[in-house]
Amino acid sequence: MKLLLKKISLPLAHFTLTMDLEIHSRVTAIFGPSGAGKTSLLDLIAGLRRAPSAFIQFDDRVLTDTAKKIFAPARSRGIGYVPQDLALFPHLSVRQNLLYGRKSRKTIDPLFSFEHVTNVLEIAPLISRGVTQLSGGEKQRVALARALLASPQLLLLDEPLASLDAPLKARIIPYLLRLREAFHIPILYVTHERAEVRALCDAVIELENGRCVRQGRAADAAEIPPQF
Amino acid sequence: MTSEDWQIIWFTAWVAALSTLLILPFGLALAWTLARRDWPGKSIVETFVSLPLVMPPVATGLILLKLFGRRGGIGGFLHEQFNFDVIFTWRAVLLALSVMSLPLLVRSARVAFAEVNPRLEEIARTLGASDWRVFFTITAPLAARGIGAGLLLAFARALGEFGATIMIAGNIPGKTSTLSLAIFQDVQLGEDSHAFRLLGFSVVLAFTAVWCSEFLLRRKTK
Amino acid sequence: MKNKFLFLVVSLVWFALPVRAAEINVFAAASLTDSLRQIAAQYEKNSSDRIIFNFGASSTLARQIEEGAPADIFFSADEAKMDGLEKKNLIDPATRKSRLGNSLVVVVAADSALQIQSAADLTNASIQKIALADPQAVPAGIYAKKWLEHFQLWSVIATKVVPMENVRGALAAVESGNVEAGVVYKTDAGISKKVKVVYEVPSADAPVISYPLALVKDAQQPVAAKKFLNYLDSTEAGDIFKKFGFTLRD
Repeated sequence: MKLLLKKISLPLAHFTLTMDLEIHSRVTAIFGPSGAGKTSLLDLIAGLRRAPSAFIQFDDRVLTDTAKKIFAPARSRGIGYVPQDLALFPHLSVRQNLLYGRKSRKTIDPLFSFEHVTNVLEIAPLISRGVTQLSGGEKQRVALARALLASPQLLLLDEPLASLDAPLKARIIPYLLRLREAFHIPILYVTHERAEVRALCDAVIELENGRCVRQGRAADAAEIPPQF
Repeated sequence: MTSEDWQIIWFTAWVAALSTLLILPFGLALAWTLARRDWPGKSIVETFVSLPLVMPPVATGLILLKLFGRRGGIGGFLHEQFNFDVIFTWRAVLLALSVMSLPLLVRSARVAFAEVNPRLEEIARTLGASDWRVFFTITAPLAARGIGAGLLLAFARALGEFGATIMIAGNIPGKTSTLSLAIFQDVQLGEDSHAFRLLGFSVVLAFTAVWCSEFLLRRKTK
Repeated sequence: MKNKFLFLVVSLVWFALPVRAAEINVFAAASLTDSLRQIAAQYEKNSSDRIIFNFGASSTLARQIEEGAPADIFFSADEAKMDGLEKKNLIDPATRKSRLGNSLVVVVAADSALQIQSAADLTNASIQKIALADPQAVPAGIYAKKWLEHFQLWSVIATKVVPMENVRGALAAVESGNVEAGVVYKTDAGISKKVKVVYEVPSADAPVISYPLALVKDAQQPVAAKKFLNYLDSTEAGDIFKKFGFTLRD
């Protein structure tokens, strides 16, 4: 896994997001308080937003290079995105949501087969329901599954546990751990909870006011007793 | 009610329906662009789209008359190249109805598009959907009620159009006579009872269209 | 002393003026627009009364008077509209007079190459649209229809007719080039440089065109209106009408 985030400069409301680093770890936390620019960074990587200056490369593919006016559109980047509000399509059924990314992928890795994904995330019984009938935890898993079923090469998770209460968090964490083991794809995991960083991630990038103040191993994050 | 009356009612209904169909693709495209994009001069476009709503219809009709007449920029071209006339034909009725009802469709559809969470569209793109696919599978279905309400409003407006129509189509019996033109002529001729019969139809049609439009909008906020 | 006297004079004049200067509402056929305006301008030179015009299709005007619109004088382009009002007791029959005559012409745009030598030429395929004042209601259109019926051409030509609100509307349609030809009064053709007359309908072929005028019964200014009516009857006014191409019927 190689993700280059270089020469990034994106003016935001109160500061400018700047970044110039490389990521090689498999599950990397992007850690910082709310408003530190974490979601904006994900948007840049996914190709949903343009910065005045940026160079983004994933493995051997240059996705964004403002200097050479290269910008790969979001639909061609093969990057799965689970936003904080999940963005499940309310007018489509669970099945239609899950298969939405399917139609555009010509080669389907058996790892991302419908059966495998729905088994790992245990959502098979929910398939024919309407999205609005799901519980919070079920919605989370469906959103994860939807991103996976598009056979992404990189997965972006924006605060997947933020809006869940403690019991629910405890129930979702195993699924996130399974993500690591069952799908072998690199993950960028945005969070403001140190405990999650230590429990789920290999490495961490700490953001403060749009700048990276620390990049290192997750285990070295400041000690906070784990909550589970 | 004579067969001529039915012809007038039928003509009014199908030209209004056709005009609504005609403005649909252009109106939706315009509404979407206004809802989702920004550019210098956008306010000028917004103003032009709203003009037929605020200007006196006969004034709009006059502009159309000058443009589409045989000596006008567009009309002259059509007449010379294709021997194709707009003014004083049913096509002028179609034109008048389309121009006058377009702003209503655009305003309703724009609000509907703006209310669609852009995040949904963005995620759809990360899942590999092209812009067209995003529009047809995500944006449009979610905006459908508002668009539908706008279409019905546009249809109702087209049904009742008078000022621009009389300017560019005239009131030619059997060819361009719509409900509102026929009512006007009845009043001119002192045939009030006939005018009231046609008026009754006009009210029923308009009432139904507007009621359905309101119904759609109410359902949306449930 | 002097100031009091001045004040008296001024207030006398001030209060007397409204009594003296009347506004006369004249509802007149559209074809009379230019001639009547000139006549009124002439009249107002020697009178403090003001003439307010409402020009339009005689049918529309008659309808308005029926509905109670404030008219003092009605000057129609055909007898039928005046008859209608007389039947309803809305005009003073003692003041009614058939004042003017006119003739019909076929006009085309000034730059048109079209030639008309008879009524039948209007059936020519090169003429796709003919503008008339609405033949169902407006005198100019009714006269034109009668002319064509006289030659049994109406049913064929009717499909080409674009009915306009009044005769000036028909004239404007020809001027704009959106119709190939129009039938209007000779007097209308006279005031427009953008059309030319290609055929004058012989009086033998056309119905008699007669413009009656009368005092409206509910006139708000009957005294002043009668004065203007008399003026319209005068030689001075008659000369102006003739200048515009009307014939005098008395």
